[in-house]
Parts: sequence; structure tokens; C-alpha cells
Amino acid sequence: MKRQRIFAFVKIQLQSLIKVPTALFIVLLLPVALILIFGFAFGSIYVEDYGWTGQSGYLFEFMVPGFIAISGLFMAIPVALSFSEDREQGLLKRINTTPTSAAEFMGSHVISNMIMAIIQVAIIFILTFLMGGMKLITLEGIILSFVIMVIFSLSTIGFGLITATISKSAKAAGGIVWIFLLPQQLLAANLYPLPPETQIVTMFMPLHYASDALTLLFYGVDLSNLRIWWDLMILVIFSLVLILAGILLFKKYGRA
Amino acid sequence: MSKSENMKRASKGLIFGSDNPYAIEVKNLRKIYKGRKVIEEVKAVDGISFFINKGEIFGLLGPNGAGKTTTINILCGLLNQTEGDAFVGGYNIKKDLSKIKELIGVCPQQASVYQYLNAKENIKLFGNLHLVKKDIINERMEKFLELLGLAKASNRAAKKYSGGMLRQLNLIVALISDPPILFLDEPTVGMDARVRRTTWEFINSLKNTNKTVLLTTHYIEEAEALCDRVAIIDFGKLVALGPPKELIEKHNAKDLEGVFLKITGRRIMEGI
Repeated sequence: MKRQRIFAFVKIQLQSLIKVPTALFIVLLLPVALILIFGFAFGSIYVEDYGWTGQSGYLFEFMVPGFIAISGLFMAIPVALSFSEDREQGLLKRINTTPTSAAEFMGSHVISNMIMAIIQVAIIFILTFLMGGMKLITLEGIILSFVIMVIFSLSTIGFGLITATISKSAKAAGGIVWIFLLPQQLLAANLYPLPPETQIVTMFMPLHYASDALTLLFYGVDLSNLRIWWDLMILVIFSLVLILAGILLFKKYGRA
Repeated sequence: MSKSENMKRASKGLIFGSDNPYAIEVKNLRKIYKGRKVIEEVKAVDGISFFINKGEIFGLLGPNGAGKTTTINILCGLLNQTEGDAFVGGYNIKKDLSKIKELIGVCPQQASVYQYLNAKENIKLFGNLHLVKKDIINERMEKFLELLGLAKASNRAAKKYSGGMLRQLNLIVALISDPPILFLDEPTVGMDARVRRTTWEFINSLKNTNKTVLLTTHYIEEAEALCDRVAIIDFGKLVALGPPKELIEKHNAKDLEGVFLKITGRRIMEGI
């Protein structure tokens, strides 16, 4: 693994944040829009006995962990699109004629997406704090939230790579990626209370574990609470399986 | 052998991997596509053999679909051959692909550059992938951009380039590592006459740097203007091989188009 190659790839991936409208929108503008819209809409609605927590507070506060998790999930879109577009434009083949190894290429994408996840969460945290949605979370909780989202970003890269593998074009990838995103967004984001029967389905969704852990942290639950670490452990397993599956599938079937 | 050792040997005019005297050697190369849905197998490359001397500009000439790109893709490791052997820089393409990748620059038929990056960013990226030092990348980049007339547009995103400019950038990206062996797959397709002339002059100037160039083209004029020797390919088979002038004289033709016509009964531009 050569640093020069990894830095070069990470640099252009991060440049895409500014230069590619889709990436800019998904990674930066969408979370900002979500926080602003829902913050202004539900920031003043006070609810008693909210969902499974039984806590009281402003509705917006209960939604913020879900927004963070969903924003991370949506990063699968630029990943799927960029790999599909690179393949369409012959860039993957061209890179394959250079001495760059598959590990360097994939590793740099993983690093750049982790950095993007950190940037995204930082922006959401700052905005949420300014809008008064972070009253209960502790400093340790904030740090752990970053860790959770960085780990979760691995699973979104996995979803992106699997999408790029099964899509014949970038246009198709833009649609197919929703097969992975929509069920998670609707059922696992903890944005609103759902009947307990849905839990069986959400057990198979990595977003569930990310949003559940974030929700606990945002409600100020102590870090000694085992549920947070249980969520984190399952999220690590999900993320590793998905990123490995994505890399292997894309390497075998998706590069041509 | 390390990359730096390879480069030292290259600068001394030595061939890299072994005692093989040729820059590229192809022996009875075959590529047959057998798909489940394909009733008849497709012989994209059908037992071709040739060698390319060091410092030579060698052309693969033939109609679209003749097997030129397939041959290049096999030589640079993008495709596996069905049968036969090939050596690039003395290295076997089956066994020593990683060493071959350090010696080659590939200019694909499709202008493959990051559209959202500008010319300089694209060139720097590929320079870094070849582990070229930053100051050397900058020095070569400025020189190539100037030579091909892209200097003024070098800070503009590639997506705003014309087809001809994109192809020129495509060529510079292939050259940034100063590779001893270059694969140019239809490098001037889509260029207007003026840009094509400039590009021909540029490719011709590579002779002075002792580079070995394998160039595919279906432009007769291009093959005649640039190549020391050409191999004419049709339906995956090699039908003629030699210096353009010799081939023209041997077949009593006016140009290489005439040679192809006399051998196959068809014109190159008709396709297969």
C-alpha cells in the first residue's frame, strides 16, 4: 500500500464533494436541509411519553438521531453513482492498467467516505446544537456518535458497491440503490414510533443499530448502558460483512 | 527487479525483464468469447504472432471489430487470452503483470479521465498512481500541455472540453509516468484535422525519446505517417505485416487501403 496513491485518490474523492452536484447535495446539503426544515417545523412541539423511551421533550430532538443516521445511509447514493460512472467512462479499466492495487483503490474509497461521514456528522451536530436539539447528549456521547457514523459509513459503501455491481449503468444505479435505502429509511430510522412487529424486519437493517445507538446517546443515556455497545457490536459486524461483500462482488463482477 | 532498476535499465536502452530482445512479443495469441447465449464462438483474436522492437512505432491496422483493442487489452492485462503467450518488456503477461504495469502507459480508445477534475488534476492523479515525484509531474505536465496546446484550458474541468481536447488529455495522462512502452488505442479518433496533425507530430516526437509505441488505428493516413511497421488485422487474423512502404510496393497498391483491399476484397472503413 503506497501512501502517495491513497492520498491522490482520497484527494479527488473529497474534491468531488465540491465539484459533483450529486455528492454535494447528498453529503452536505440534504442533511442541512433536513435539520433546518424539521427544526423549524417541529422545534416547538413538545411531546410527553415519546415512543419506546417514554421520555418527554421537543419532537425535533427525538428526530435528530434518525436524521443523522439517514444522512449517513444516503451516502450510498454517491458511492453507487461514482463507481458506476467510473466504470462507464472506462476509468476503472484505466486505473487497472496502472500499478495501483485493488487494496489501494478500495482502501482510499473507504478512507474518503469515512472522512465524508465525519464532515457530515460535524455539520449536523453544529446545526442541531444551534437549533437547540442537543440538550441531553454528553461530550462522550458526541464522540461515540462520530465513531458510530464512521463505522456505519462502511456499510453504506458496501450498499453502494453492491448497487454498482448489479447496475448496468449509472442511471440504473440511481434507481436500484433505493431498494437498499427505502426500507431502512421507512422502518429503521427511529424517526417515529412503529409497532413492535416491525422489529423482526429491522433486525436485518444496519441503520436500525446506528439510529438506535444514536437515539440512546441523544437521550443522554449513560455510556455504561449495554444496549449501546450491543448496537455498536452488531453494527461493526454488519458493516464489515457489507463492505467485504461489496468489495468482493464489485471486484469479481462489477469492474468490467 | 524494482521499478527504479527497471527505469535505470530503460534509460540505458536495455530491455527490462529478461533476455528477450523485443519490447513486445506476441506468440500465437487467441481470444475466443464463449457465452451461454452465444451459439457460435467469437474469435476476437485468432492466432496472431508478431514482435515489436524497442523504440519502434508499431501499428495495428484494421477495420472496427478486427481485434485491435482486444489485443491491446490482453497485453496490458485487462483481458485474459484463451491461448498463446505474450511478453511486454520481457515479462510474461500471465505471470508478471504487476511488473508490466510499471513499464506501460495506456491511452484507451474511450477518453477515460475524471470529468469533474481539470486537466492538471487528472494528470497529477495518474502521475501519483505511478509514484512519480511531484516536481517531475509538474515539469512533464507543463511541457505536454504546452506541446499539445492545452495549457490555456488546463484549469478548466474536463467535462467542458471538446472531444479532441479530451483525447489529447487522454494521451498526456498515458505519458505522465514517462513509460518506456506505450499503448495508444485509436488515439486520434474524433479529432479534427488540425488537432490530429498536432497529435501526430507529438506522437512522432516520441521516437526521439526511444519509446516503444503500439498504436491501433483504422486511419490509413495515420498508420502511414507514424508507423515504422504495421500489422494489418482482419477478423482477428494477421493478414499482412511490414513497413508501410514495403507492403504498398509488395501488393502494388497506392496506399495501405489498397493493400487491405487487395488482401480482403473490402475497404478498411467498411468495417467487418
